Amino acid sequence: MEEFRVLKLGVVVIHIPHNIKKKLTFLTGQSDSLADIPVIIYEQSRIKFLSDFSKALLSEQDIRKYPDVATFAFWCRASNLNKIINELDSKNLRVGLGLIYHNSPSNVPVNFAFSLAFGILSGNSSVVRLSSKESESAQFIINVLNRLLADPKYNEIKKIIVIIKFNHDDEVNNFWMSISDGRVIWGGDETVAKMRTYPCKPRAREVVFPDRFSLCAIKAIKIVESNDDDLNKLCASLFNDIYIMDQNACSSPQLFNWVGNAANIKKAKDILWPLFLEYVNSKHSLEPIQYMNKYVDACKSAINNDNVLNIKHKDNLLFNIELSHFHEEQHNQRGYSGTIHEISIESLTELSTIINDRYQTMTYFGFEVEELKSFIISSKLRGIDRVVPIGKSLDMSVIWDGYDIINHLSRTVDVY
Amino acid sequence: MIDLQKIPVFKLNSLDKSDFMLNQMNELTKLHLKNCDEYSTLMHKLERIKNEYLSLSDVPFIPARLFKHNELMSVQKSDVIKTMTSSGTSGQNVSKIFLDKETSQLQVKVLSKIMGDFVGKKRLPMLIIDTKSIISNRSKFSARTAGVLGFSMFGRQVEFALNDDMTFNFKRVKDFIDKHKTENILIFGFTFIIWQHFVNELEKLGKKLNLSKAVLLHGGGWKQLENKSVDNIEFKKRIFKVSEISRIHNYYGMVEQTGSIFIECEYGFFHSPSFSDLIIRNHKTHSPEENGVEGLIQLLSVIPKSYPGHSILTEDLGIIHGEDDCKCKRMGKYFKVHGRIQSAEIRGCSDTYSS
Repeated sequence: MEEFRVLKLGVVVIHIPHNIKKKLTFLTGQSDSLADIPVIIYEQSRIKFLSDFSKALLSEQDIRKYPDVATFAFWCRASNLNKIINELDSKNLRVGLGLIYHNSPSNVPVNFAFSLAFGILSGNSSVVRLSSKESESAQFIINVLNRLLADPKYNEIKKIIVIIKFNHDDEVNNFWMSISDGRVIWGGDETVAKMRTYPCKPRAREVVFPDRFSLCAIKAIKIVESNDDDLNKLCASLFNDIYIMDQNACSSPQLFNWVGNAANIKKAKDILWPLFLEYVNSKHSLEPIQYMNKYVDACKSAINNDNVLNIKHKDNLLFNIELSHFHEEQHNQRGYSGTIHEISIESLTELSTIINDRYQTMTYFGFEVEELKSFIISSKLRGIDRVVPIGKSLDMSVIWDGYDIINHLSRTVDVY
Repeated sequence: MIDLQKIPVFKLNSLDKSDFMLNQMNELTKLHLKNCDEYSTLMHKLERIKNEYLSLSDVPFIPARLFKHNELMSVQKSDVIKTMTSSGTSGQNVSKIFLDKETSQLQVKVLSKIMGDFVGKKRLPMLIIDTKSIISNRSKFSARTAGVLGFSMFGRQVEFALNDDMTFNFKRVKDFIDKHKTENILIFGFTFIIWQHFVNELEKLGKKLNLSKAVLLHGGGWKQLENKSVDNIEFKKRIFKVSEISRIHNYYGMVEQTGSIFIECEYGFFHSPSFSDLIIRNHKTHSPEENGVEGLIQLLSVIPKSYPGHSILTEDLGIIHGEDDCKCKRMGKYFKVHGRIQSAEIRGCSDTYSS
């Protein structure tokens, strides 16, 4: 199996050298080779495969235990993928780059699957490195994937997917970087910096996800005017944003901006927070260590930050840290598992003083889309890549972190 | 300063005890609010300031872990005569505790009252299951050094059982025993070191010692022994087998409240002396739990004056089994400790490289 085979025109097989292979653990795919087959984006057989993958995941009985996996499975249903295709704003001919290397995040396990799906949809072959940290969600997805790939009708797909684990190693990283046409690097500043030390092909592209910070804007008067039904829905949406990923994702809201006059803000807070706490209490509990960590972090923050006015916690499920003014480095004031930093502002324009390229997602309640767009345009910001309603902070999409990922991982072929 | 001589160490009933403690806690809270800016800032921001706290469970507490992140002191830096640090497993921050003369003296006084109750007022010949080198380097004041130094004050003709390389010096120990054949002996050491370098070593050598007249005091935690599935009962059994020691007392205490330790009685419970107390709190609400319910251990001590450590929430889990009615006849709350809260997997999208 040492020879370099040419299967058919334009299709090559990448041979994985023995010295590299022995350092890898293969979770799926062939251990000695990988097809390098650039195809058109959103190619039909690939859409079909992902939609079958979605069905296979959703028909698993245990899927209920893994809400993160369910989110992925819903995302790659045929109907959703077709909706994405219909919304394509360009009818240009686009084809994949070739081989994409993905370094997936350790702590949002399901993102490796999204990353892989982006690789498939953009017409590329993919090598996905999973974190060495065990994840039940990731294992669940891989088990279903392997069962699916065992079916001969997916033989062609099987050749373009390799999922591996390995301890970071210069030789292995150098190998993958030397043959990849693009790399997708999750995992924050440190990982991005490290991966950039490995040279890649002259035309290689990269999609990198460094550390980001996200915020939320709530128009106070709209809370005051909301009926019970709307408020209950809002609580459920807030819950998803805050507790599903323990506020650890880059898009999890950290800084809550109450927009309006002081009287309305007070009223709105008095309405929302007790209701929200009640909702969270009915739904959720944390590990003892998480309660402790939140409590310690809040105490540290109170001592070390002069913009912390007060800390309210009826119990340890929800901490409200009220700020008197923005911190010089507001994006470093973070909380986890239900720790809300909140501040009162008169209008969104006040945010333009703090928003830098760290800011990713702004969730909102009570604003019109046009109002938000004009804020983004008029403020000439360096940050904020997503503005989405409360509840949607974690919804992954092909547009993410300021990238149109499918476009970024493919090339436009100009034909006329 | 409190006149400790007048206060019996294990004879205050719950009413007298809570009066005394509440009074002390109110005084100390006021003292630290006045003298420690960080403490005062924290209490203000948590909206926990009151003129007077009406019950012990109402007295504010701070997380013990805070001493790892902030240098908290209620005296001028120039008044600090000793800085103690927790042992801390590798890679973690260590707690820093700042002692002035008064607090340091109080630690000794309180500890000696507690020790007096368990080992008698007379100083006994003492064997320490550790190396002498642990106290020779005094600039680094680790919890282990502090423990050895603190307890060795209650002994005389102190001997160390281990060589510098932690091997057991059988001859030295044998000579010590022969010399004090007719006397009661005090033995002190850290739980894990006793297990590893005393019990296991004697078992390996196949030798036995006759220490039937000794009382053994040990502390420092069970974490490493839990990994080996060794519990208190097994620990005592195996010690007895190699040394005939039957009076074995574990103690519970931490560097943040050195001095006011809790010693295990003859019936297997830790006892709260007159100078310290505990409250079990719920993880989620921090409200006090009933006796018999497991929760986080909050510790109260009358000792800390030079740093705001008089009321701290630990990360240890425990259950209070009763108050004033232990079979050992000591007054006060008696309890058991069930280890620490477990660390959890953190979710998020940072730092894959190191994993």
